[in-house]
Amino acid sequence: MTKLFEPSLPKLMEALATEAQGLKGMDRRNFLKGGIAAVAGLASVQIIPKANAQPNLPPNIPEWQTYLGRGVVAKPYGEPSEFEDLQRRTVPWLTADAQSSISMTPLQDLEGIITPSGLVFERYHGGIPNVNPEQHRLIIHGLVERPIVLSMDDLRRFPSVSEIRFIECPANGGMEWRGAQMEAVQFTHGMLSCCEWTGVKLSTLLAEVGVKPEGQWILAEGADAAGMSRSIPMEKALDDALVVWGQNGEALRPEQGYPVRLLLPGWEGNTSVKWLRRLEIGDQPWHHREETSKYTDLMPDGRARRFTWVQECNSVITSPCPEKPLRHRGFLEIQGLAWSGKGKIKAVDVSFDGGVNWQRAELKGLVLDKALTRFSLQTQWNGEPWLLQSRAIDETGYVQPTLKQLRDLRGGWSIYHKNSIHTWNVTEKGEVYNVQIT
Amino acid sequence: MFRSPKSGALTVAFLCFASPALVAGPLGIGETATPEMIAGWDIDIRPDGRGLPPGEGSVADGEGLYEAKCASCHGLFGEGAGRWPILAGGEGTLDTAHPEKTVGSYWPYASTLWDYIHRAMPYPAPQSLTDDEVYAITAYVLYLNDIVEDDFVLNQETFQEVKMPNEPNFYIDDRPDVVNTRCMSQCADASTFEIVTTINGVTPTAHFKEDSGVAANHYGNEAATAEATKVALSDAAVAGKSIYAKACNVCHGAGVAGAPVTGDAAAWSERIAQGMATLNKHAIEGYVGKNGVMPAKGGNMALADEEVANAVAFMVESSQ
Ligand code: HEC
Ligand code: HEC
Repeated sequence: MTKLFEPSLPKLMEALATEAQGLKGMDRRNFLKGGIAAVAGLASVQIIPKANAQPNLPPNIPEWQTYLGRGVVAKPYGEPSEFEDLQRRTVPWLTADAQSSISMTPLQDLEGIITPSGLVFERYHGGIPNVNPEQHRLIIHGLVERPIVLSMDDLRRFPSVSEIRFIECPANGGMEWRGAQMEAVQFTHGMLSCCEWTGVKLSTLLAEVGVKPEGQWILAEGADAAGMSRSIPMEKALDDALVVWGQNGEALRPEQGYPVRLLLPGWEGNTSVKWLRRLEIGDQPWHHREETSKYTDLMPDGRARRFTWVQECNSVITSPCPEKPLRHRGFLEIQGLAWSGKGKIKAVDVSFDGGVNWQRAELKGLVLDKALTRFSLQTQWNGEPWLLQSRAIDETGYVQPTLKQLRDLRGGWSIYHKNSIHTWNVTEKGEVYNVQIT
Repeated sequence: MFRSPKSGALTVAFLCFASPALVAGPLGIGETATPEMIAGWDIDIRPDGRGLPPGEGSVADGEGLYEAKCASCHGLFGEGAGRWPILAGGEGTLDTAHPEKTVGSYWPYASTLWDYIHRAMPYPAPQSLTDDEVYAITAYVLYLNDIVEDDFVLNQETFQEVKMPNEPNFYIDDRPDVVNTRCMSQCADASTFEIVTTINGVTPTAHFKEDSGVAANHYGNEAATAEATKVALSDAAVAGKSIYAKACNVCHGAGVAGAPVTGDAAAWSERIAQGMATLNKHAIEGYVGKNGVMPAKGGNMALADEEVANAVAFMVESSQ
């Protein structure tokens, strides 16, 4: 029994277990009792310093309960607990520099459907401008009766609305077109966020300037170094487009276009022009760089689709995922997110065998138009390997396609709009890997 | 007081006063945007040439301007330095296994080039070029793409002659293109499944895996580079620093794909012990090592051997 006096607890338990192997029935029970007593006895002598490494666990009184905590306004603008590791992250080798680059939302760490403002994914083509709202103006001109210039003060006088909508970069998942590449859900799906946005309907602003009948297109332009510009058809502008200054209950973050941006619900993120300074009404599209060189989809025959605005129905399982492997056998709630640029999510199915058989998942909480929708499936995991997938269906009846279906039609070079069913390989150990089934 | 019959009438009058009928039409918010205000911001150019200002510039004028203001990133011939965008070449590649989308091979309209250079380039100093300079540089980039001749002068009129070869190959979004059905059982044949996994070492996973050296929150190893600037560098290393930044830092800055991180002496000591000749050979010709693949010249074949050797000198001297 001298082994028992080694100071390391894991070694001790190991020694106990080894010795217990050789015993049977009553002997074993008695031995274990004795062993545990020995451990307990030992604890009072030698293990205590070790045990003190966990002084806050019951039956001890947690250290933070024994004195007063921080008072009010110690942090006038709060921040997450220091124990949380909530971060947007990037893939540094993707781009030449950090100004024209991208960072992703940690979908694996989020609850519900709202993305906290500080974690909304970033995509800039020329960095974040530091816009002084008092010196920022929005000019609306072109084929209109009354060209106007609006200050932020003016904008806020218009009747406002608040709506929960997702924004997704059309290149979300784009690194996966030609093969599984990113070993993390943050990188396979994290160019996706969902916030409550507050602002004025673009149709209200257009009524204010009086669009002439020939006015069929709008050029939206940003005040950033890229002078981001996109052509928007009048139909979308009059449908559900917003000009927003509020995000999750406060002013827009600089990263999201402070002090004002366009928001085109369900359309590729790039069209929701940030730091919006100008709306020009015209009779035809402008075909600017972000709608010709970029944000067009190259097809296998060498031709390319343009004006691929809608983000079609998509979904992904966020728990488990590579960042959140399975650590416990037994009960398990699988969770994920589904979304569609064409409206509400109607249903989500989950497959454990790579898409051979499917089970209907439940939609949790709010199910909103063009918003992230959380789904859940309660099940058991007992160490069996899975090829775990989710498949979303939206209210138009569109069923999220398989990767093979997408590739057969679009090849591997279209960069954008990869909304196929995603597969996680869950191993016997509970580790989760990104794989593709071909 | 509301109970008194007299005040009834008063209340009605008060309500009328407090709630004017909703105004149909403009709310009268904001000021008129004057032509001067609009002129300053209305910078967009359309495919029909609308928006092009007076002025002109020749291919010959563009050459010097391009070399001074653009080539450091986009390469002397538009081939792109390091990971900066390529501007020329790629004709005939769009339907191949390695399509190269450039101004010449892909862009449908020349107006886009004028508009974009004017609004967003040179990258570090947008909207700093004069209209004549934009005309000249646009002409030069078109020339690099064999779209105009070397004696071409671009202005509002000659613009109309420029035709971009790939224009006919764009078409309006025709999605939804794929039709999946909501099958619930026996939807696929598992015996035909081929499972494709990811390549090791490309994903930044240091935040959830202990054994990963790739971090996800910074560009390059700024600490190491800062450290590197403290040591006195040789002339070769000084010359190699900008090459390194453009062509090598993308992997060697953060340890992407198994590349030894510049500034990490431990990762470099054994490598350095091989001698400069071996290191240069490996960097110039490329090789497959224990940790991964070092592509020839970091994948940037436009670099001269000497430039690569200078970059190696910079890396080695920064990692001792
Ligand atoms: C410091 C590096 C740098 C310099 C100098 C620079 N550019 Fe760029 N250029 C970039 C980057 C980065 C982008 C891509 C920006 C983005 O992601 O939106 C770009 C994009 C472009 C594009 C679009 C490429 C495409 O395929 O869509 C053109 C055209 C261009 N630059 C022309 C120029 C010209 C002309 C100059 C000189 C007047 C210039 N650039 C100077 C970095 C540079
Ligand atoms: C795509 C990523 C990548 C780029 C870009 C890259 N390298 Fe490397 N490099 C590697 C990898 C990976 C290794 C390690 C290979 C091994 O030893 O397993 C490496 C190793 C090296 C070595 C050590 C050779 C040895 O024998 O130990 C040198 C020197 C080097 N690279 C120089 C360069 C230079 C110079 C550039 C820029 C011109 C560059 N690399 C760009 C990935 C890259």
